[in-house]
Amino acid sequence: MKLSFPSPEFDNAVAAVCHGSANEAEMGALNELLRSSLSARDEYLMRVELHTRLASEPDLFFQAADAAASCRLPGISTGDRRNILPLNPAVSAIRRKLVRAMALAACLMFIAGGVWTLWFKRSAARNGATSSAVAMLARAVDARWGGNSTPLRVGSALEPGWLRLEAGLAQVVFYSGARVVLEGPTELQLISPTEAVCPAGRLLAEVPQPARGFHVKTAQINVVDRGTAFGIDATRGQTEVHVFKGEVEFFAGALAKQSLGEGRAVVVQGSAPPRLMAASRDAFASMFELQMRSLASEAFRYEQWQFASARLNQDPSLILHLDFENLSESDWTLRNAAERNRSVQDATIVGCQRAEGRWREKQALEFQSVNDRVRLAVPGDFQALTLSAWVCVKGLDRQFNSLFMSDGFDPGTIHWLIRNDGVLGLTVFGPGLGKFQILASPPVITLDKLGMWIHLAVVLDGKARQVVQYVNGYPVARHALKLGPSFRLGPAELGNWNARGGPNPAPSLIRNLSGSLDEFELFSRALSDAEVHELYAKGKPDV
Amino acid sequence: MSADSKRPFDDSNAAQQRFLSLFLRSEREIFRYVAALIPNVTDAEDIVQQTAMALWERFDAYDPAQPFTPWACRFALNKAHQWIERRQRWQTLLEYGLAEELAQRRQELQPEFELRLKHLEGCLGKLPQGQRSLVEGYYYERVGIETLAERSGRSAAATYKMLQRIRHTLQLCVEGQIKPDVA
Repeated sequence: MKLSFPSPEFDNAVAAVCHGSANEAEMGALNELLRSSLSARDEYLMRVELHTRLASEPDLFFQAADAAASCRLPGISTGDRRNILPLNPAVSAIRRKLVRAMALAACLMFIAGGVWTLWFKRSAARNGATSSAVAMLARAVDARWGGNSTPLRVGSALEPGWLRLEAGLAQVVFYSGARVVLEGPTELQLISPTEAVCPAGRLLAEVPQPARGFHVKTAQINVVDRGTAFGIDATRGQTEVHVFKGEVEFFAGALAKQSLGEGRAVVVQGSAPPRLMAASRDAFASMFELQMRSLASEAFRYEQWQFASARLNQDPSLILHLDFENLSESDWTLRNAAERNRSVQDATIVGCQRAEGRWREKQALEFQSVNDRVRLAVPGDFQALTLSAWVCVKGLDRQFNSLFMSDGFDPGTIHWLIRNDGVLGLTVFGPGLGKFQILASPPVITLDKLGMWIHLAVVLDGKARQVVQYVNGYPVARHALKLGPSFRLGPAELGNWNARGGPNPAPSLIRNLSGSLDEFELFSRALSDAEVHELYAKGKPDV
Repeated sequence: MSADSKRPFDDSNAAQQRFLSLFLRSEREIFRYVAALIPNVTDAEDIVQQTAMALWERFDAYDPAQPFTPWACRFALNKAHQWIERRQRWQTLLEYGLAEELAQRRQELQPEFELRLKHLEGCLGKLPQGQRSLVEGYYYERVGIETLAERSGRSAAATYKMLQRIRHTLQLCVEGQIKPDVA
């Protein structure tokens, strides 16, 4: 048997495969065709995709689902051939068996939001975040780790404790922003985001402005950074400190604090007075090389983002794109870079510090005080909205930490925020006064995510009546939306909230963010999972 | 031995919760990943179920810093291969590397699919009542083909043919929604 494409025989064979009724001759012929014809293969995949969507998206049959969704309990089966519950069948069969196997209460699985509610209550009882990480392993080249620790993977969060690098190179990024390259054999004890101990080994530290005060102790010396790049070569008996950029302070033994400038080095041995000499880059050559490579890849990512950004600005549904580029100390406007739709004016910066963004050259705004905010006005009514932001959260200081909030509590408006337990929340205000719905994710902003750039997005889909929240490109919560469109934003703020209240608002009404933003997008439509993931992929800080 | 008994009691509940929440989020995607290789729904379901158990058993090895779905899909591909090995027909369909090729190409086409299939719901709404209830019965209520055939007074073969035609209509509809200047 031989198939050609396009042909009725091809159509029948694909349908038979979908129904599971194709015979071996048909399957063989299909295999041959799909391997030789790319257009047949793409068409095949499209048809199969449509078929599997129908089988796996109960939402497509929304009205029917709505009626059935009033908590079907397991065991009330309709007696069809596979004894499958009618609600969300393709997946519930799997869930049910899984649940049985895992000895979990089965009802939990059949109520869409029930899982989250229960899960959230438990996690909330544990107080949301449990991680105490202080740094992250950013890069490793031929690294061999000693001790009985489990092998470290690039990207792992590092808690306080010992790193024993026997050979190779590794780059550790502290949550304060300090970047340290180690060359094995090196022992490093992580103490906090700003402190480490290195009794023996070699390291190269690069400390950006915000991480000033980062310090490294060896057996002989305590080195405090003052915004620099420096190297340490430590053995049990002797420590060398080389300053390549800026200045460090050091304390050796009982001696008073001394400072060491660019291009200088110091050797401290026992109780002998520190000996000065010229800094030597050669001694740290391989570590510099790793850092250069890391810099080059950063610059590359930044360029890729700029390119993607320029394309994104052509999307007609993009009504606001704040890229936080070209900021200056004296300029208080934040340019809307969206090009096809100019309905939203530039935003205005109130307070805020200029800060470093996802990459060294990328600018950001840091929100810290109760006054810091970006004000904007978004005219119009919307059937759907997508909000997307790159944010580096420093801490969840307030009960509600604003990402984007419409002023006050006007009908049809929204508040997008992070709760102090790490829950992402979207509050949607209904058409009537006093009506609102809170859509809360599980506590996803855990401690290990603080101090790192993360991508957050929320899709408010008035037509499909659902709200989906995303962290780093992946959905973390899907909820049915009870309040219909249209939605409005009106006057609103990034990183803060205008309660339109009295002069002494209650603590819950102070909602300023503690952290930085370096990009914000607003679309007048519901982006798909794939599109949100693409926003993340195009903008993520590392490869 | 079940996966449960390998784990200390106090810890297992939290791990289960964590696993479940991750798995449930990825479930549909894993299902579609598998179904791209083995489109027959009940078979794909079986494989996803086996995948779920394998994932749970190996959940200790999961690195939370990595996205869950790709990790899970690697297991799913493995399970699909094991499943295919015992079934000559499906082996014939997917042999000579076609399975990997399909999985790979599907990944590349994903944005395109999203663009088209977002119109699926609207297109379903445009179907005549009889066609819509057939699709609903087959895909949503998951009624067997014989029952569907009985309901509509057709033969089983004619019912399959009808489903094929409806899918064709839906495909033309979603593709007709794409404006050539977008994309």
